[in-house]
Parts: sequence; structure tokens; C-alpha cells
Amino acid sequence: MSAPAVRLPVSRGLSRWLGEHLSLLAGAGILAFFILLALAAPLVAPYDPVAQMADVRLQPPSLAHPFGTDNFGRDVLSRVIWGTRIDLQIAFIGVAFPFVIGTLLGTVAGFFGGIVDTVFMRVIDIILAFPFLVLMLSIIAILGPGLASFYIAMALVGWVSYARLVRAQILVLKNSDYAVAAVSLGFSRARIMFRHLLPNAIAGSLVFVMSDAVLVLLNGAAISYLGLGVQPPTAEWGIMVAEGQPFVTTAWWITLFPGLSIVFLAFAFSLLGDALGDLLGVHE
Amino acid sequence: MTALLSIRDLVVNFHGGPEPRTLIDRVSVDLAKGEILGLVGESGSGKSLLCRAVMGLLPSRRLSVDGGSVMLEGRDLVRASTADMLSVRGREIGMIFQNPTSHLDPVMKIGDQIAEGIRFHEGAGGREAREAAVEMLAKVGFPDPSRQYDSYPHEFSGGMRQRAMIAAALSCRPKILIADEPTTALDVTIQAQILELLLDLRESLGLSVILITHDLGIVAQTCDRIAVMRGGRLVEQGPKREVLAAPRHDYTRMLIGSHPSLPAAGEAKPAAAHRQARPLLEVDDLHVRFDVGGSFLRFGGRKQVSAVKGVSFQVMEGDTIGIVGESGSGKSTLARAILGLTPLSSGHVTFDGVDLAQQPGRALAKLRRETAMVFQDPLNALNPRFTVAETLGEVLKVNGMPSADIPGRIDELLDLVHLGREFAGRKPRSLSGGQCQRVGIARALAVNPRLIIADECVAALDVTIQKQIVDLFAELKARMNLTLLFIAHDLAIVRNLCERVLVMYHGEVVEDGPSAEIFARPQRPYTAALIGAVPDIDPDKKLLAPRSDTAPAAA
Repeated sequence: MSAPAVRLPVSRGLSRWLGEHLSLLAGAGILAFFILLALAAPLVAPYDPVAQMADVRLQPPSLAHPFGTDNFGRDVLSRVIWGTRIDLQIAFIGVAFPFVIGTLLGTVAGFFGGIVDTVFMRVIDIILAFPFLVLMLSIIAILGPGLASFYIAMALVGWVSYARLVRAQILVLKNSDYAVAAVSLGFSRARIMFRHLLPNAIAGSLVFVMSDAVLVLLNGAAISYLGLGVQPPTAEWGIMVAEGQPFVTTAWWITLFPGLSIVFLAFAFSLLGDALGDLLGVHE
Repeated sequence: MTALLSIRDLVVNFHGGPEPRTLIDRVSVDLAKGEILGLVGESGSGKSLLCRAVMGLLPSRRLSVDGGSVMLEGRDLVRASTADMLSVRGREIGMIFQNPTSHLDPVMKIGDQIAEGIRFHEGAGGREAREAAVEMLAKVGFPDPSRQYDSYPHEFSGGMRQRAMIAAALSCRPKILIADEPTTALDVTIQAQILELLLDLRESLGLSVILITHDLGIVAQTCDRIAVMRGGRLVEQGPKREVLAAPRHDYTRMLIGSHPSLPAAGEAKPAAAHRQARPLLEVDDLHVRFDVGGSFLRFGGRKQVSAVKGVSFQVMEGDTIGIVGESGSGKSTLARAILGLTPLSSGHVTFDGVDLAQQPGRALAKLRRETAMVFQDPLNALNPRFTVAETLGEVLKVNGMPSADIPGRIDELLDLVHLGREFAGRKPRSLSGGQCQRVGIARALAVNPRLIIADECVAALDVTIQKQIVDLFAELKARMNLTLLFIAHDLAIVRNLCERVLVMYHGEVVEDGPSAEIFARPQRPYTAALIGAVPDIDPDKKLLAPRSDTAPAAA
């Protein structure tokens, strides 16, 4: 009799915790689903994503092809599943480089201030003076189309937001009493920057990573749609939307399913960003 | 005596967890017409919450008044409708707060903020409201009210802003004024002026006042009755003199005992007998100037302000020296300059024979190793992501202690500052202000410093905790032959702890000498004004508010 009485508050606490972190759970759940899908793509995809079957072109969704087939007779479901691999990779790598570079440069600029800060901030102003997509397209055009060029362009352009976010935080924190205490205790600059200031400054950026992942994902899709990113016949959601575009009135399934996948993955990142913000106290 | 406001068995609960938590527990208190009631207690005792409950302004939806009544002239405010409360707030009960800066609209003219209430409650037209507001500004001591009506809050000092808040609160001639720690953010001299203003207004307007404070000295100087709160309960109430002379409750006795009153003259502390030939710290004609204005593209027109102007003094090993002065007098800048945290403009700081201006590298290394600082805001002075053990351990590690010895030394440090060893794994957020400050002191002691500079290190703490921290310093000083520079604006604390006092005013040291002597026979009018403005817990020692316009003569 006593065991349930002891466990009850715990389970109630857990259910309340779950209730308060619904968006964290939903976001993590959807993201986990896509990651599993990407890992298990060879096992779950019913067909070869690039195999063309001339006899089943432009078939509407059916039992054999739940998401239908495209104009080359390729199975849309299999292409969506295989595309998960590429699009997750775009989201992660496309965010990781700007995040790391921007955070480091922002920390250094904010901490040292003076001429270092001025130089970094002017560089950022110059980058921001160009429309984002135009800058991305020019860099990719110079480097040649392909995913690698996309990642390099992202790293060159995307770091500015992170640098500004972190710099602003560092500027506030470097005058906090614990930073002054660290200086007065003879801690090295690197220790103060990376052990004391950065961990306290990074919460806002971590939240931004999530919303940025959404933007990068859409960018990647847009670049591929323009023919500068992933090259056909590789299965990628952006290309699939592009390829389906001529048939959108007659064969809607070619664009709808990859489009929905983009929406769901973006939604998962948004939910995670929101939940992270709550957990890290950014909204307070 | 008929009560104007009568609080009966008021209960406020917090509905967050599975069980409602009682924050105000059956509090009953009366306020008579023309009376000043002092509501005292530590932070978290529920004194502010009580007043907010009276106003119907509970700070969270999870809080609710679950019992009792608040009767104001036959109406029960607990049961009043939202619309009725709108006419009560401002018109019947006015409220002022601790920090006037954050409670005044920064982009609205001071006068308009006062006139707004008059227009809303009395339906006055623009011109009438302006006239009434100007009159109100004059009443709270603005020297040129019709011109100052059009000024913005940032153009005034903290004291004048608090006067403006009082004017706004009183603009519709409420019968009751609730003042929530109205002088805590102000210097003692300004505090004395504001308290005097409250007393005057009580006389001229027949106002009843509930004065929330943690300082029993203020209560002793201004209030008629005292109500003491602790943990949501009213532990004691009664006429001021009775409560102060014969407190019935243990907690009241402890509060009175912790009050750092200035002791009577005499009782000088024996000066350290042995003197070394060379001072540990020597400050010689130190100037610190800051650039204001001027930026990347504007080279011309660069202005400078002097925060410290030609300060000289010597500190011997084992000395305890208090530095007092109002905010803006340069105390903290001086401390930071001594520790090499702020660049010197000219002059010398010599620590143990090494000149900071001439051998900056060597001096800084020495200062970092052999001095430490304790800060005003104990929570903000600790890295929020580090546990106590990590905070202390890092200092030890950076100073080259082998990692095997670190846990033992951490325990030793915690013992020194009387914190249980179980605190090692806790983070600052789960500690109280006093506990955080003890960690801050432990961190300062970790380097075995020869000099500790404590910058207003008790200003943010409750009086009872203040006393504990000051006692801790006194104990450490006796045990470890610490050299201590103790910066404070609270003269009573400095008087009790320090043998010598430096009085700073506008960046200069205007007086320097043994505490007992300076407090008994201040040479400068400024020092005398500072001492006279400290509210004494003895109601018969009258507060001496310096006149607002006669700025004390600097040297």
C-alpha cells in the first residue's frame, strides 16, 4: 500500500514537468523521427530513390506508391525518405560553422573591445549591407555549385548574427562583478573569456541556433531549387519541390510531400528553440 | 482612536505547488488618521506584499487574498470591484517605491506624470491639472516648479526623483500614503531630507503613512507606531517607544540588537602597537579621470571627468580603514584603481614597495596574487554556473595549488566563513544573500591575501545579516591579521569595525583620522552632515537633515 503513495507525487511531478515542456517534447520527438528516418533510409524506403520506372510516370498516391511518382517514374516516398539525410545535414552543418565562428569572434570582439571590436563590427556591417541571398548566390557562383560551396557560403555570411548576439552579451557580462572578481584574482584572459563569460553569454545564441536552423534549411532548399546546391538526380526536398513545379496543377503530390517535410522539420526546430529559451531563462 | 484603514486577519496564499503556500498569515493592523506606521522586517517577511494586497496589486496571478478584510472608511477593499479599486488607488491611497528611477516614465515630463493622475481622478482640464501639479511640485520641495514641470526624470538626482514620485502619489490628495522602502536607494543625507519631507506632509496634509523599511533607525525617527513582520506573520506591534524600549518578541529584540547604531563617544579601539617602517599600501596624489563623450569618428570635443582627485594615504599591515562618502564620491573608483582594475591617470599606488605606475607588470602580478576584493551585490559577484566548490577551487588551481590539496582547502575556507561543508555543491542561485557574501569572502581569502578591499559589501543585505558579515570580518581580522579597506556609506558600520576613517567627497579625501575622533569631533561640515543624517534608533536623538541647497563645502 505504501509504495504507490510514495510514487504518486513523483509521477504527478513528472506529468506536470511534461505538461510544462510540451513544446520541448514535441520538437524533440519530430526531430528524433526525422533522424531515425535518415539513419534507416535504406531499410524503410520501398524503392531506389533515383531508379526511373518509365511505366509508372506521374502516378497519383496509391498503395504501391503512397506518395505517388514523379515525371521520371521515381517513387516520391522513397525520395522524401532519402532526402531527409541531405536536408538534416544541411540544417546541422549549415548552422554549426556560423555558430562556432560567430560565437568565438563575438566573444573576442566583446571582450577586448577597442580597435579589435571596431574592426569586427565594421566587417559585420559590410556583410549585412548586402542582401543575404544575393551574397550567398555570388559566393556559390564563384565557388561553383554544390553542397560544399553552400556550406562555405553559409559560414562566410551566417556568422555575423551569432557574433553580434554574443558580443552584446559579453559587453554586459564583462562588467559584471564576477568578471571583475576574476580579473582581480589574476585569472588569465582566456580563462575569463571562455570559462566565465562565454558559458553565461551563450544561452541566447543556442536559442537562435534553432530558429536559424529553420532559415538555413529553407535557404538550402531555395539554393537547390535555383540549381546551385544539391545536383539532380540526388533526392533533396528543395530540388524535389523545384522539379515538381511544372506539374503542380496536374500532379500536386510531387511538390506537396517534400514541401510538408520541410515544414515539419522547420516546425520541430522552432518548437525546440522556444523550449530551449524557456529552459535557459532567455525569455525572462 | 478610530482607524482610517483597518486590516483584519488578512491571508494571502501562493497557489503554485500542490498545496497553497501562505505568504501573509492572518495579519491584523490598524492605521489611524495622521499616523505614521512603520512596517519593519527582513526581505521576504511579506511587508511589501501586505501593502500590495491592500492596494489590490498582487504581483502574480498565482497569489490571491484568501481571507480577512481591509476596511477603508466602511468599504472592504478585498471585495471591491476592479472599477472601484481604480478610484481607490491614487485617490484614497497613494504609493511610492524604493527605486524612483524605474517607477517614473523616462520619456514623460515630470509634471505631466503628476498631472495625469489629477486629470484622471478629478476630471480636471489641462490647465487646472498643470496648476495643481505645479503646486504639488512646490509642496514636495522643487525650487522652481513651473519650470521644472517640463523636465524629464533623467534631469534630476535620485532624491529629486523620489520627491517627484511623492508628488505624483499625493497629487489627488489621498488620505493614505504607502511608502515602500522610499529611501533605501538614497544617500543618508538625501534620506534625511526625504524623511523630513514625509513628516512635513503629514503635518500639512493630515496624511496617514505606512512606511515600509528594514532600518529601525528610520522607524525610530519618523514613525508613531511600529509593526514587526516575520515570515508573513505580524510578530509585534505597538507604539514606537514601547516597542523600542521593551520589545516583547525575541525577533524584535534581535532586530534592535543588530542595528548598527553609533556608539557614544569614547570607546576608542586600541591602535595596533607594532608599526612597520614601510606601509603595505601607499597612495600618493592619485588621479583617475574618465573620458566622456567622444567616439570613433569624433576626435574633437573629448571631455573628461575626474572621479578621484589627488588622493593620498598610507595603509600599514593589519590596519582596518573605512572609506565613507555618498554615491558618486569616488570610493569605488579609488578601490578599483588601487587594485589595478581601472587605469590611473596620474599619481602613484605603491603596494608592498612596488609602484603600479612605474612597474605595471610586476605590480599587477603582485596585486592579483596578494589582494582580493569583496563586492556589493553578492549574487552578481559569483559566476552563476559554478558551484561553490568550483568557484573556490578555480582560484586555488590558478594560484598553483596541487589538485590533491584543493578539496581540503575548500573545506577549510568554508569553515573560516562559517558555511557548512555541504554548501560546496550548491550554486549561487540556491543561496541567500548572506550565504553568497560568505562565499565571496571565502573566495577572497583563498589567495591568502595581504589586503582585502570590501566595496559596500553589506549594503545589499538585511540588517541582521549585515551584522553577521561585519562580525565575520571583525573575527577574521583578529585571527588572520588582515589588512582591510572597508568601503561603505553606512557610517555606523564603519565606526564599529574600523580604526581609521577616510571621508571622501567629490573625489577628494576631505577628512582622514581615527574613527573615534572623527565621529566625535568632525572637522569638516560635510562629515558632520553625514554623521548627523544617520537615523539613530533612539527616538530622542533627532535627525539632522542638511538643507538640500547648501552643498557641503569641499576642501
